Amino acid sequence: MMNLLKEAMAKGRATLSEYESKRFLSCFDIPVCREGLAENPDSAAAEARKIGYPVVLKACGADLAHKTEVGGIALNLKNIRDVRKEGLRLMKIRGCEALLVQEMVKGARELVCGLTRDPQLGPCVMFGLGGVFTEVLDDVAFRIAPLTLGDALEMIGEIRARKILDPFRGEAAIDQEILGHVLVSLGRIGLEYENVAAIDINPLKVRPDGKPVAVDALVVLRKE
Amino acid sequence: MMKKEFGPFFEPKNVAVIGASATPGRPGNDVIRNILANEYRGAIYLVNPKGGEILGLPVLPSIANLPDGVELAIIILSAKDTPQALRACAEKGIRHAVLSAGGFAEVDQGVKIQEELVEIVREKKLRVIGPNTSGHTSTPHQFTSTFFPLGKIRRGTVSYIAQTGNFATHTMKYILTGEHFGVSRVIGLGNKIDMDESDALEYLADDPETSAIVMYLESIKRPRKFLEIAREVTRRKPVVMLKSGSTEAGRHAAVAHTAAMAAEDRLIDAMLRQAGVVRIWDYTHLILAGKALSMLPLPKGNRVSFLAPSGAMLVVLSDLCVRLGLDVPEIEPATVRRLHDISPPFIRMRNPVDIWASASVRGVEFGYREGMEAVLKDPNIDAVVPILMLTEDTGIPSYDFILDLKKRYPDKPLIVTFSADKKYMDECKNYLEPLGVPTFPEIEQPFEVLSILYKCAKAMNRPEQK
Repeated sequence: MMNLLKEAMAKGRATLSEYESKRFLSCFDIPVCREGLAENPDSAAAEARKIGYPVVLKACGADLAHKTEVGGIALNLKNIRDVRKEGLRLMKIRGCEALLVQEMVKGARELVCGLTRDPQLGPCVMFGLGGVFTEVLDDVAFRIAPLTLGDALEMIGEIRARKILDPFRGEAAIDQEILGHVLVSLGRIGLEYENVAAIDINPLKVRPDGKPVAVDALVVLRKE
Repeated sequence: MMKKEFGPFFEPKNVAVIGASATPGRPGNDVIRNILANEYRGAIYLVNPKGGEILGLPVLPSIANLPDGVELAIIILSAKDTPQALRACAEKGIRHAVLSAGGFAEVDQGVKIQEELVEIVREKKLRVIGPNTSGHTSTPHQFTSTFFPLGKIRRGTVSYIAQTGNFATHTMKYILTGEHFGVSRVIGLGNKIDMDESDALEYLADDPETSAIVMYLESIKRPRKFLEIAREVTRRKPVVMLKSGSTEAGRHAAVAHTAAMAAEDRLIDAMLRQAGVVRIWDYTHLILAGKALSMLPLPKGNRVSFLAPSGAMLVVLSDLCVRLGLDVPEIEPATVRRLHDISPPFIRMRNPVDIWASASVRGVEFGYREGMEAVLKDPNIDAVVPILMLTEDTGIPSYDFILDLKKRYPDKPLIVTFSADKKYMDECKNYLEPLGVPTFPEIEQPFEVLSILYKCAKAMNRPEQK
């Protein structure tokens, strides 16, 4: 796993790609969605069949930190034809190196988790309401790493929209234990991997059974 | 071992005042008056090149003339003369110094002088409070280095750490003249070239004379160290903090959302929560919290009962409790029955308690005494606030019944506020507070205080986790 960071650093890259970011995070027991990398629309279609429709198709590249802004995400693709068509479009986006095929995670709730570094406080972990309105809603809580599970559970309960943790529109209550471990792990990464400058997991979606899963992730590397 | 190093600040066997002044009104004169007014029992050495005598004490012409074995120096000179004096004290074997002078980091030349002081402290391995401090106080040792004329400082059990000269001066003056509680240690940190809030907290953590710690800070020098220390202390002693600068935007432009949203105060706030430090937001609460922590037990929970002589107060204060995170729960049927017993039949009794009818028909003392006892007894109630009706028209009770209730229900905070003639509010305060029952002139304050105390209790009882 260190190789992933080291190679990216050696190439002078500022971030890990989404796919690499999730591979990195999954080493710390952070649940990530099912996904596969494809080089072209045809192999993307093959991946999609393995994962099962509907799927999400994303433009993937080391410099594509914010995909939404460039139209780099195609949601809810239901068949091979749509995958091919969207795949062709995404490949034309500047910086797109490959196609990322993902399961379309169900569930209405979107959370955000992350790691940042403060010059004085060191690694700090964030939790809050996620999705495209993260910064607008500004409903987040922080803790200083290392976190105990108690710290994590406390910060989860600290957001204004804490009711989102309860059963919601036919979906189960959020599994706070799993969520807490995600936050503890982010703190651990902050303490153990100096080369990681920041992490965003946004959104961390909640499946209808209440289990959180990272649907998009970004690992920002330290500037040399 | 680190903690012991600060001992001579708080329990000095003797003290030297460098820059002692014969002129009344000068800091170098007031500091001596304060030391004398507090009946400090150690030897006092005064230093001033003019020699002679000040306030009946002999004056030595130079630091070199001091005897060996001086533990603490209060250096009360201008900024530019301070480094030389500190060096001379170090050469005389004095290892602890309070640097009172201001004008250091704030002005251009001062920065250089402050750097020089840092160098001396490091080189001579000194322990220093300040510079730019209004001094410190240690009532258990009857000692102070404060140069603001305070007179005798009342002894208490709460200690203050303040990064403002105002606290040890004007605010302390108010506490001494307007309140009845006292203080244990008070530390004005000043520019923190050596002793900082983490050191001070670590010292007070193990200080048997300190039962609770109240802090005012503008910055935290070593926040991770502070977290490490505070996290442990707050399980044993309440720590309350007013941290200013909370509205600073201070956001960073960054590629990651998490970094962009990590405003400085947000992280400090997170750190304080993690540490179990109870954050307050009002300067006034520095005083209210100190008073409450001096006189009251911590509540077991957040369930409040209050007795008011007005429907408006019952409603407004119930709303306030919700805002403050306090619960105004239902009470036991037996309690309700007792409240009905003491009231005229036309009124429906519950929590909060409408005491007007009972007090006006059966007497203020009877109504409040029986009403308060009923809710104090109730297992659903953790704290009781009477809003005392005190007017000549309705009759002024003896306040002893409140002391009696406090004695019989010592585990439940009992806080008095008023709907009253100011004359009797003052009378009641002056009678009850020296005997350990706090009163507050504004009806919201007891609830603000209870919310702080409840948070302290929660922090102290939070589960231990690896």
